[in-house]
Amino acid sequence: MKRLLTYLLAAFVVSLGTAGQENVSLFTIDAGYASIHDSYLTPITYGGTDLALGYEVMRNTRFAPDKWLWQLGVGADYNYVENDARNNNLHKLMGDITFDMQRQWRGAIAHRVNLSAGPMTQLRAGIIYDEVNSNNPVSVRAHWNVGATGMASMDTRLWRLSMTLRYQVHLPVIGVFFAPEYDESYYEIYLGNHKNLAHLGWWGNRLDMTHYVGADLHLGKTTLRVGYRARLEHWTVNNLKVHDVSHSLVLGISL
Amino acid sequence: MLSRYIPNGVHKSVKSALKNVCGCHSFYCTYCLPFISLCFVVLLVGCAEQDEFESDQVGNFEALWTIMDEHYSFFDYKQVDWNEVYQRYRPRVSNEMTDRELFDICGDMLKELRDGHTNLIASHDVSRYWVWELWPVNYDERLINEHYLNFDYKMASGIRYQILPDNFGYMYYGSFSSEIGEGNLDLILSYLSTADGLIIDVRDNGGGYLTNVEKLVSRFIDTKTLAGYIRHKTGRGHNDLSEPYAYYFEPARNHIHYLKPVVVLANRGSFSATNNFVSIMKSLDNVTIVGDTTGGGCGLPFTSELPNGWRVRFSSCPIMDSQGRLTEFGVAPDVRVDMDKNDFTHDAILDTAIGILARATNLTTTNNHHNN
Repeated sequence: MKRLLTYLLAAFVVSLGTAGQENVSLFTIDAGYASIHDSYLTPITYGGTDLALGYEVMRNTRFAPDKWLWQLGVGADYNYVENDARNNNLHKLMGDITFDMQRQWRGAIAHRVNLSAGPMTQLRAGIIYDEVNSNNPVSVRAHWNVGATGMASMDTRLWRLSMTLRYQVHLPVIGVFFAPEYDESYYEIYLGNHKNLAHLGWWGNRLDMTHYVGADLHLGKTTLRVGYRARLEHWTVNNLKVHDVSHSLVLGISL
Repeated sequence: MLSRYIPNGVHKSVKSALKNVCGCHSFYCTYCLPFISLCFVVLLVGCAEQDEFESDQVGNFEALWTIMDEHYSFFDYKQVDWNEVYQRYRPRVSNEMTDRELFDICGDMLKELRDGHTNLIASHDVSRYWVWELWPVNYDERLINEHYLNFDYKMASGIRYQILPDNFGYMYYGSFSSEIGEGNLDLILSYLSTADGLIIDVRDNGGGYLTNVEKLVSRFIDTKTLAGYIRHKTGRGHNDLSEPYAYYFEPARNHIHYLKPVVVLANRGSFSATNNFVSIMKSLDNVTIVGDTTGGGCGLPFTSELPNGWRVRFSSCPIMDSQGRLTEFGVAPDVRVDMDKNDFTHDAILDTAIGILARATNLTTTNNHHNN
């Protein structure tokens, strides 16, 4: 069974391939504004700085390079936010990995405009740390989900510079995520009470979105990226409420 | 189709704007549709959560009352009618009052809960209900150091320890916030292992980390032991509490244990995690609690905050003893003793402990003789 799974995984990776017209591989850095509301830690909404590092690779698949592409993104983001009274800070550190496959429609609605859409999956986890709270100093975040992604891109020129304009949305639909009960301490979880910690996430209790819009500027073999990314994480479960938002400028370069 | 769901005025305005900017006349233009969609998305994502309360004096009072109403766990146990408290205190608050005046009113309101774990914390003050300040002190560090230890004692992991002349070990642990190293504890108990009995003094220990309670207790048990039960709030209602969860402590593996007779000394300053420690030790067969009732504080405190930045700490998760009883108002000793505040050379509580150990060890010796 283990050998069969290994073969299947290897076949899957090989089938993704590396050749094709879509060929993006770059490192990105995000900087912008973040807002955090986590009722487990505080009823107050905090605002401040969003910083993120990421790596993204996008390729046409080998098995149907004209029709399918795959995309892998890994990243880590850090938010340093403070309350309106400016006497306390939260630190949020998250990491994520996102994989998707998309069916492409080239020239779907206009010349040089490509549309694509397909399934995605994402694992995202991290913590928020409150500098002064006593027995509720951290809020652990972890969720795995599956959903859909959609992308619209257009190859164009800015004077003599070749570039690709791109808009993409990642929209998880269903998954599982971690949340303690309303005022459950992590000490109680440490003591062994693991009831009601894993939750089914769907649009009735959870909404996540990541939007990206930007331009990839092709300078010979190097690609520079300039864009904007918005993230939303919103959920309500166990009478807890989370609403985190970030808006960031994205800069990237292929190496 | 899209325009069917858009008010006519808005529809015309948007089309007019599109015509001016893009030159097109349609929502479905290659450039305009993605742009309009993106604007909608940014609006949707961009909505940060709005806080519920204003940051004026009334808003902060309302926030404090509401936080306690939704999170405090002992309203029914203490028979506090929180709505009635609101009716009494709300008229005293106005937006014209100073921060100090508001703080005093809020602090008085929190004292209605009679809870040492409940504090309002501002830059200029901390409101508190420290009932132990009203009781006999029942502890004098200098007296013990001078007349029992002769200023000759060891110190490790925040624990002062020595073997007394009667061959009973003595260890004083002043704060459960002092991290206990397992290796340090091995060395301490190894040193005290020749003593016929052990006195653990946790008087004036105001609490700290519950993980240190487990570390310490695990050296005095030889089987898996029911330590107590813990609950937590599950919702905003006063009685929205989880089922009690039984938790157990295991003996420390591969570490030194002390299973001879033990006496724990407590006073009203033995609060919070120390109260928890005493309640667990009291349930062990070879342990006697001597001194005064502990200070209580069996609710694990959480922290929240007001719009103006003041922090509020409150009991959120009740912890019960192994009998399922709340010890919010303290754990009664097995032997009740007060120190004589006019005697500056004797600690009546420590003397009582030594007497108990002497009797216990004599009894053990006698039993051993009988068995032989």
